[in-house]
Amino acid sequence: MIQTQIALLRREFWEHRAILVVPVVVAVVMSLASLTGQVSFDHKELLDMGIVGAQNLPENARALALSGIMVTLSSPFVFAMWILTIFYTLDSLYAERKDRSILFWRSIPVTDFETVLSKLLTAMIAIPVITLAIIIATHLLVLLNISIWIDLRGGSPWHLIWSAVPLVDNWVATLALLVALPLWLSPFIGWFLFVSAFTKRSPLLTAALPIVLLPMLEKMMFDSEVIAEAFFVRSVQMPLFAGLDNMELLFQEGGDFAALADAKLSLVSLLDLGGFITNPQLWIGLIVCGLFSAAAIYVRRYRDEI
Amino acid sequence: MTSLVSARNVSKSFGALRAVDDVSFDIGKGRIMGLIGPNGAGKTTLLKAVLGLTDCQGSLSVLGLDPFRQRRELMQNICFIADVAVLPRWIKVSQLLDFLQSVHPNFSRDRAEELLAQTNIKKNSKVRELSKGMVTQLHLSIITAIDAKLLVLDEPTIGLDIIFRKEFYGNLLRDYFDEERTIIITTHQVEEIENLLTDVMFINDGRIVLDTTMEDLPEQYVELMVSPDNADKARQFNPFYERDVFGKQVMTFEGVSREQLQGLGDLRAPDIADLFVAKVKGEAA
Repeated sequence: MIQTQIALLRREFWEHRAILVVPVVVAVVMSLASLTGQVSFDHKELLDMGIVGAQNLPENARALALSGIMVTLSSPFVFAMWILTIFYTLDSLYAERKDRSILFWRSIPVTDFETVLSKLLTAMIAIPVITLAIIIATHLLVLLNISIWIDLRGGSPWHLIWSAVPLVDNWVATLALLVALPLWLSPFIGWFLFVSAFTKRSPLLTAALPIVLLPMLEKMMFDSEVIAEAFFVRSVQMPLFAGLDNMELLFQEGGDFAALADAKLSLVSLLDLGGFITNPQLWIGLIVCGLFSAAAIYVRRYRDEI
Repeated sequence: MTSLVSARNVSKSFGALRAVDDVSFDIGKGRIMGLIGPNGAGKTTLLKAVLGLTDCQGSLSVLGLDPFRQRRELMQNICFIADVAVLPRWIKVSQLLDFLQSVHPNFSRDRAEELLAQTNIKKNSKVRELSKGMVTQLHLSIITAIDAKLLVLDEPTIGLDIIFRKEFYGNLLRDYFDEERTIIITTHQVEEIENLLTDVMFINDGRIVLDTTMEDLPEQYVELMVSPDNADKARQFNPFYERDVFGKQVMTFEGVSREQLQGLGDLRAPDIADLFVAKVKGEAA
């Protein structure tokens, strides 16, 4: 069972190269941007002042600034991951029907349940884990690049960066975010899998249509926005970072930067995993995802024609 | 004879269309069964039911299993080639071997590599880079390396040239088949598999119109080429089908002994293609 699942997951990586290619492309773009940004930056004296300024900051403030850089670097990955997940799930059960290989896959002693499960695990776990690994590599690469540059300008990279940067804290928090996101958005993942299993053509359009039309219909017929609320507002209000309300303090003008940095230094401490896991909306979403996935299994199993 | 596939009153409808209509048959171990029928006769539907790819009414048992409900167990002992194009085009030969090795308990990688070594197929090629004939070779090699009790071939050589087709069947008999294994095969090129078969089954409009062994066939059916003056005499034996060949009548008889027809013309056992036409057209008449 586990060996089969591993083989099925490997299949997803062979078939859907984008799972690796997309984050690697983002990593290359971000690394190149950090490299060329420094090379082409004309005002070297400004950067030198930056180094002096950074040297005068207390360590926790430096840590906060570095954490900010890391979050900035991570955010395009998170965005790209969600786009990738949408396209992956829409393609996952559609591609094998389009190229007619589904009959081959079904000629092997693997159940439809196991196959659909492997697609779900890819979207929910494999893609986030890969994304995290590449984010970590990008962080290290960019920080190394900055270190070299600081060293060339006569600063101390160890003092300015490596002794202060909260790597593990940032990565743990990023992992939590990357895993929580597909869980929170799981109803969409389930819906995309189901569309991918049944649609005869253009999975993207088929999947998008009800998401766009249902809220409009509801508005016209009942003048209410319950569906729109459930689709869009809920999606962006993931209750993972409990301290998020306080986060904006960090960006307040004239705040006591050092004191705030001390208080909110750890991203992990901002996480509210307990609150997230016990949130009923999360579980309702997972049930919806489970129902759609079951429907996808049913369609793959019972439909005769491709 | 132990029955490997046993069907009793099997039916499958799509809306009003009865694709398979109350079909019963048995296929024993070590047989090669040819399933012959025109397009839309229900061959593929019947094979899908045997493979557990579609649900059906009636009772169907394959290797003692209910194919639709126990598909996973069934697929450990069954292989099929449904069409040459079904191997995924993006997969590398080596990936295919890796995959099968991990999910198929009866797959022997060594055997597959041994068979592939006899071909021009490279292990790091992707399926999309191979010619159609090579894809079929690859598929057959894989399937031969699976220690399966039943092999189902649905038009396995469609779109291949004659050399590949001959080679395909040659390899099938040499590398795959033995008395422990059973094959069900459908094809339009009946002549090519005629010598392979031990059993033959005709299906038309979802019904079985003939189900017999190749050994019994010449005893059950006889074809008589008769000159016009003997035609009426021959018709007394109730041929179920008549056709005109170069001014002579060719009549096909069922259950009429050769002795009775002796002297009326040239007697011979009908080949499968002719017998099929006779059966289908004769029933319609």
